[in-house]
Amino acid sequence: MRFNSKNNFSLNHKLIVLLIIFLSIILLHLIYNEFAPAGSLLSMAPENFWFLRFVGRLHPLVVHFPVALLLFTALFELITIKHYHSPLRPGIQLLLLGGIITSLIAAIFGILLSGNAEYGDNLLLHELFGISTAILGVILWFLHQRILEKNEVRYIKIYRCGLFIAAIGILLAGHYGATLTHGEDYLSNTLPWTENYEPVEKMELDIKSNLSEGGILSKAEEKELNIKVRAIFAHNCYKCHGEEKVKGELRLDGKDFVFKGGENGKVIVPGNPDKSELYRRITLASNHEDVMPSKGKKLSEYDVSVIEFWIKKGAPWPEGSKNEEVFKVAALAPRNPELPPASGIYSNPVDRWTNQYFTRNKITWPEPVEDRIFLRRIFLDIIGLLPTKQEIDEFGNDKRPDKRSLWIKKLLDREDDYAIHWLTFWNDALRNDYTGTGYITNGRFAITDWLYQSIKTNKSYDQFVRELVNPNEKSKGFIEGIKWRGVVNSSQRTEMQAAQNVSQVFLGLNLKCASCHNSFISDWKLEDAYAFANIFADTTLEINRCDKPTGKYTDARMLWKELGSIDNGAKVSIKRKQLAENLVKPQNGRIYRTIVNRIWAQVMGRGFIEPLDMMDNDPWSQDMLDWMAFNFQKNNSNIKDLIYLITTSKTYQLPSVGFKDPNQIISQEYKFTGRLRRRMSAEEFADAGSALFGSIFPDSMVRYRPESQVGNNQQPGSFPRASLVVNNSFLTALGRPNRETVSTSRESQANLLQALELTNGERFNAMLKSGAENWKLKYKSGDLIIKEIYKQALGREVRSEEYKIAHKILGDNLKNDTIQDLFWAIMLLPEFQIIY
Amino acid sequence: MSSQWNRREFLKQSSKATLAAMAAGAPLSSLLTSCNNRRDSRADTVILLWMAGGMAHTDTFDPKRYTPFSKGMHAKDVLSTFKPVPTILDGISFSEGLESIGKVMDRGTVIRSYVAGDMGHILHSRHQYHWHTCYKPPQSVSAPHIGSWIAKELGNVNPVIPAFIDIGQRFTLGEGEELKAFHTAGFLGSEYGPFLIPDPSVGLESVRPPVGMSSKRFENRNKLYNDLINKGAMGEFGSDYQKESLKRSMEQAYRLLKSPEASAFDLSQEPKESYDIYNTGKFGLGCLMARRLTEQGARFISVTTEYEPFKSWDTHDNGHTRLVDMKKQIDGPIAQLVKDLEKTGRLDRTLIILASEFSRDMMVEGRPDLKVQEQVEQPDIIHDIKNYGMHRHFTDGCSILMFGGGIKKGYVYGKTSEERPCKTIEKPIRIESIHQTIYHALGIAEDTSYLVEKRPFYTTPDGLGRAEMDLFA
Repeated sequence: MRFNSKNNFSLNHKLIVLLIIFLSIILLHLIYNEFAPAGSLLSMAPENFWFLRFVGRLHPLVVHFPVALLLFTALFELITIKHYHSPLRPGIQLLLLGGIITSLIAAIFGILLSGNAEYGDNLLLHELFGISTAILGVILWFLHQRILEKNEVRYIKIYRCGLFIAAIGILLAGHYGATLTHGEDYLSNTLPWTENYEPVEKMELDIKSNLSEGGILSKAEEKELNIKVRAIFAHNCYKCHGEEKVKGELRLDGKDFVFKGGENGKVIVPGNPDKSELYRRITLASNHEDVMPSKGKKLSEYDVSVIEFWIKKGAPWPEGSKNEEVFKVAALAPRNPELPPASGIYSNPVDRWTNQYFTRNKITWPEPVEDRIFLRRIFLDIIGLLPTKQEIDEFGNDKRPDKRSLWIKKLLDREDDYAIHWLTFWNDALRNDYTGTGYITNGRFAITDWLYQSIKTNKSYDQFVRELVNPNEKSKGFIEGIKWRGVVNSSQRTEMQAAQNVSQVFLGLNLKCASCHNSFISDWKLEDAYAFANIFADTTLEINRCDKPTGKYTDARMLWKELGSIDNGAKVSIKRKQLAENLVKPQNGRIYRTIVNRIWAQVMGRGFIEPLDMMDNDPWSQDMLDWMAFNFQKNNSNIKDLIYLITTSKTYQLPSVGFKDPNQIISQEYKFTGRLRRRMSAEEFADAGSALFGSIFPDSMVRYRPESQVGNNQQPGSFPRASLVVNNSFLTALGRPNRETVSTSRESQANLLQALELTNGERFNAMLKSGAENWKLKYKSGDLIIKEIYKQALGREVRSEEYKIAHKILGDNLKNDTIQDLFWAIMLLPEFQIIY
Repeated sequence: MSSQWNRREFLKQSSKATLAAMAAGAPLSSLLTSCNNRRDSRADTVILLWMAGGMAHTDTFDPKRYTPFSKGMHAKDVLSTFKPVPTILDGISFSEGLESIGKVMDRGTVIRSYVAGDMGHILHSRHQYHWHTCYKPPQSVSAPHIGSWIAKELGNVNPVIPAFIDIGQRFTLGEGEELKAFHTAGFLGSEYGPFLIPDPSVGLESVRPPVGMSSKRFENRNKLYNDLINKGAMGEFGSDYQKESLKRSMEQAYRLLKSPEASAFDLSQEPKESYDIYNTGKFGLGCLMARRLTEQGARFISVTTEYEPFKSWDTHDNGHTRLVDMKKQIDGPIAQLVKDLEKTGRLDRTLIILASEFSRDMMVEGRPDLKVQEQVEQPDIIHDIKNYGMHRHFTDGCSILMFGGGIKKGYVYGKTSEERPCKTIEKPIRIESIHQTIYHALGIAEDTSYLVEKRPFYTTPDGLGRAEMDLFA
């Protein structure tokens, strides 16, 4: 088909009109960006009108048309290079027209889009090539028409050259456009010979995230990136660009300050590190006059690259209004969600919640664990001991249908065993010990007796907290902290230690950052930390920032004003009393969630929330945690009842779950499917050995003697429990912490130093040696020894394969050495050390 | 080195959990997010020779005007209680009794300008904590010992030799608890803690089968263990990291105890003439063990003269008399250690550091411009030799020796004044720089850090320390 000349003329006419409109848009665009006086009509950017924004966002869709059409035009022109007037000509004409029109549309849409965001250098290049190609296209159309209409052959060469240039131009425009959305190294990182080459596995991650997020950081990622940057500012820049000193009129300790800039104007150009004064300054040579930080300490390459990346990504600082919190803060108030209905055997409230959770997550209930596993669990979890031979038999012969609950009750009633076991947990958390820094110089006070009695009598948790926070002579050690001789950093004065430890242990809250400077991992401010610490101080503490006095003071105050007030002028004993009452108020949902989460973690291996000291993290079931915390408080904060509630549930009796990679345990994607496997603690392991083979620790190592264990009260066969003895190399190797700092969970992984202690440690081998002698006298035959050790240590019958191996080493002539070696091997079996 | 940091890196990091204390019993170290770059190294092994208790610079490696003891002498006139003796370096003298070390100074550097931390009323263990961790106690998180940092960053040289070995310190003495507070891997996790050998003369006991167990029986016991694991009921529970780590660590321990390298701990295998040179006491034998361990591939070894309040370098009285003994203990073994390692070519890749928590002076407690509460009575006129010596704790001019590991040879760094107060007047150097210099020699980047409770915890506070490049050849 051929266009007739009349039509062509009218088309040309329209095109000229179009070109004029187009050029005026470019003009307007320039005015918008460069010369528009603020507030004038012209400065009304297109993003203020929804339709223009919408149309702008169609740009990425439209751009593909001119690319394809113009490239095909060029291709056909190449094919027909020898015969200009080939039969393809009308097709070429049509392609050219389509390419030009769509390139004009794409250019206009693109200009609208660019008003919406900051992109940087690549945008300029992209615009340059895109708009020039569009203009070139219009010119080409005129040439093409002239050649056709007036048969002006001399234009053919010019037209063709122009067309090939336009094809290259549209490719370049496309390329720079793509770098805006996909990143500069999108292509080059697939090439093994380039600097930024990424092997396939990493690429996958990136592509995946590109697909899901369009190459843009998610809100959470933006937040995390921002925190990293603020941490760098805080550690390297605040000293001169913060509240204290404002050099160059620049402050970096707040969003407004950072983007406002200093005396020389803005320091951050989002999207463009190279134009950002801040980036320029931190990348200067260290002898340059303008280099920052100025005092000769260059930022690390890593820190510089974090800041560069942050600016490139548009310097995100997710903080809407002033009141909006950057950091997630868990709700403070208690919540009592409605308990899901009982369903079949799932009537225990814990099970009702689990059942609902399982249904929602499409998890089916597995069979509960068998008796021997259950028995070992409850013994170790509740009293920290292995069941004895008699107890194993008794439990096996117990035919009552509710025997599991009855036995749990029985164990909880063994007051001393229970207290001795849980003493370890609380000693770690309250950093109480028999030896440690400070004790001999009266710089620290033990609370063991108070603690033991409190656990033994099952003191309600609110009262427990009251007595620790507003202590008597026997419980003052926790609040008094550790006082070292000499001058200590002001963030480690004893009042601040108290503030940090109370918030960590009871509220699952990290106040450590804020006790030195405004925290950048939470919204807690230096002043908040001092206000809280003032509760423990005789006088008002002078606020120190990074150990430098500021001359400022603040009142004594709760961290949450909802929890009540503190009488600022009152004596410290009054303030502590007020604090104690405020803390344990039912309205303080946080304190009850924190303890429920800790107890849950003790018996289930993992908390609803991990880490246990970061209670602002999300639980795997908010409803379940909230319900349990609410009802725990309502039930007089009865810890034994809480343990009973959990351990008598079917949920507790689920088969244990093991992870090959410990990172999965604390992953935010964690799904609860059952109790987490845990390794015996140092104390449990030592006590298990002592019970089987005779005391591993001599009586002389005992540092606390409960009444029940004194003199005649001592039961036959009892031994010094590990939680009551002075710390030693054996317990240390197996993970008992030195209790200089609060410690709320222990490592469960074995290591070489530990293995060496178990392989040739004197104490351990001596215990096994005397155990072998005793057993030989008691059981006399190798056969009996093998059967008994499997039963007593592992709670099961020996298997025939195992029997053969053991029997082979014991031989017919029973010797102490070989018995000892058998015992050693049994105690080191993972099956022995791990609680399944 | 390019550390191009991009979106991918960022995502990789964010996906990792970061925390402080443990969670659900997971090993600490696996939960840390690190920011660590490896660099070129000049050394593989570090031997720290620890002069516990405060070694007076003016009576050791930085002697001043000598005033012999005489009844009725003025305390303020006494700067040194020993004669200076020329070393192999022109114009450089050491205090009498350190001649052997003086003769090997062409292999190393003496730093004469170390300035210890200011922490008020002086307590040895706090300064020792500061020296070994670079952080001032107390800390709200448990700070790792420098040996643990190195063990964590570089691992073992030889898989059967523990990466961090601490020789010579018992923890049953005074301030034992305070010593424990920094003999720890802290938040890095117990895996990187010190392997303790309190007494080198019986060091072998730590790495051999239990007392009274024959080698054959030891093998059989291990075989029994493995057989029972393999045939046991474990299969039904499947695998988990606790079980795997337990099996792995037991196997590692067995390999160490069976390995020929374990004989490095056995000093009785040392030829007599060499043993005798080192045998000046526990410290000397510790040096011998350090040498033997270095030969077998060790990463970080600390040998201490052992801290016990008012013992060894902690001279609150009889400073002069007691230093005669202390010097006898250290002079021969240290010089021999340097020579032995040089002979076998290992000195180039081994960094030896001799240091103490602070120095001593007869008059000044603390720093001249920041004096602190005195702890020792010092009469103005000395009548009794027990008052003749450096008995007060002095923090403003301490000596450190460094050998090997790319350190300059025959070099003197820094200077203290010739008259009291004999404080640092040139090139003051602090603990941050000392640590970073050690890390630099090992190729550990200066901004090495971990996120602990979401806060970055650096090898040196806030990552601000810088290696002193002037110390390197």
